[in-house]
Amino acid sequence: MLPHYEQRNFFAMRLIALAQDELLRLLSTRRGMVSLIGFLLIWIAVLNYGILPAAAFFVGASDSGLTELLLPRLGLEAWRQWPAPELAVFWVISLYLLPFFALLASADQTASDRSRGTLRYLVLRCSRTEIFLGRFLGQLVVMTLVVLITLVSVLIVIMLYSPDLLSAAVARSPVIVVNLLLLVMPYIALMAWVSVMARSARQATMYAFILWISVSLLVGYLQAKFGPMPLLDWALPGSQVSQLVRLSDWQTLSYAPIPLVHTLIFLVLGGFMMRQRDL
Amino acid sequence: MNLIECDGLTKRYGNTLALDNVTLALPAGEPIALIGPNGAGKTTLLSLLCGFVQASGGSVSVLGESPGSQSLCGKLAALPQDALMDPRLSVGRQLRFYAQLQGMNRAESRLEVERVLEQVDLLDSMNTKPADLSHGMRKRISIAQSLLGSPSLVLLDEPTAGIDPPNAKMIRDLIREQSSNTTFLVSSHNLDELERLCGLVVYLEKGRLISVGPVTDDDRHDFVTLRLGSVAENDFIAAATQIPGVSGVTKTAQGDYLIETDNDMLTSAILMQLLHEKGWRYRQMTRGKSLEERLYG
Repeated sequence: MLPHYEQRNFFAMRLIALAQDELLRLLSTRRGMVSLIGFLLIWIAVLNYGILPAAAFFVGASDSGLTELLLPRLGLEAWRQWPAPELAVFWVISLYLLPFFALLASADQTASDRSRGTLRYLVLRCSRTEIFLGRFLGQLVVMTLVVLITLVSVLIVIMLYSPDLLSAAVARSPVIVVNLLLLVMPYIALMAWVSVMARSARQATMYAFILWISVSLLVGYLQAKFGPMPLLDWALPGSQVSQLVRLSDWQTLSYAPIPLVHTLIFLVLGGFMMRQRDL
Repeated sequence: MNLIECDGLTKRYGNTLALDNVTLALPAGEPIALIGPNGAGKTTLLSLLCGFVQASGGSVSVLGESPGSQSLCGKLAALPQDALMDPRLSVGRQLRFYAQLQGMNRAESRLEVERVLEQVDLLDSMNTKPADLSHGMRKRISIAQSLLGSPSLVLLDEPTAGIDPPNAKMIRDLIREQSSNTTFLVSSHNLDELERLCGLVVYLEKGRLISVGPVTDDDRHDFVTLRLGSVAENDFIAAATQIPGVSGVTKTAQGDYLIETDNDMLTSAILMQLLHEKGWRYRQMTRGKSLEERLYG
């Protein structure tokens, strides 16, 4: 008698299994652990030599009245609205640092599996769309962990140096988590798309770089030729960052549609190519 | 119902026509051999059936579904040519993941992975990474993945290529054992192996379907194939042509002879007597032509 397994052909179930596998791959492979430890070491350096001195500087500058002169020039007027200076500096640094980490960490969503032939084993068991979205979700979970780890490290610093500000900082944490995830989503989606075209993580990163430069040049050319076109200012992922730096609290979500639209476009393009490509 | 149906199936890679207007219907049952020289389109046909590549023309259905359909999940399995598992993760972990994608829960997947690894005699390799296994062991692990969930149809692309004889025999035995519940479509260059294993043979050449038919030609009685030990060629041909009913004796390879006769059973009996009298040792005698002789003779 053959063993019988109920056919639980649920899209969500397989999506979760694929995302879970992506996370486990990070945690159970030497390469994944090395990447994670590498990032943590970099982050400790950023915390020690970036966030802490910068926060101390702004507190000192505030006391001397220097911030009134300096911050508007730097476009950082909103820093006062953050409950702790460490959180304000963390917000600004994360806005610029996390996209790069997201690009590098999520470069190999399907590329090496395709060149190795491992995707053939998977497509016999789930759809190409499920693989594509599952891997994207897995990378989003990985980045969520990264955001949480970095945020917790900053909260620990606040607890140690300014314990009275901790509760307010914790209350503001969801704003930061939601915003940073919105920020990295299009980068992960972009890498999901280029990973479909590439045969390795390195090639995917190169494709993303070429794409980025090409779109930047095209936007520059079009605006030079036809005059300012506000819509084109939002063509690249992360184009909202310069605005986000000036904002704090939930008002930051006013720019949420931009990364969401970017993410959707990349996922649609990548999903289409994933379904069409020969394995 | 036919397990596989192709109608005018065509696949182009750029300007290269890999599969040219193939129409065939294959039933469930005995293992099916898929043969043809290099570049015949065997791997392309298997890739189309699995949904790895899309057809340029024509139509194909597997178990009544389009390749790549979710309804085939767990029913269709394959050993794709040159596909490797992730070298960084243990065999057991990857197989359990595949089983879970097929709908099994954790406990079911653990038991199922143990079952299939036991079938390929590699239960001890559960916690080993594929990179640490030999080529033959990796192939057996890939065959184990194709048996997860006992699918109805398994497509094996050169399952014994590069495998040592004991392991090749083990794979053949496994296919034989499983073929009461599962239909295998086996692509291979080893015609002897396919002749012993399969009931039906699909022959492709230059992307075109040349023939579909039984592996043995039991309906014909006009040939005997004989493999002799060290016997002088001229002596044997001279003696064999004297046998009543024999109209021709052809040497097909060193020690191999194809004897044309009007009654294969009678000729076989007389041949045995002749060999006994002359003290000539034979290695193999079969009625009809070998598969190789039928295809390429």
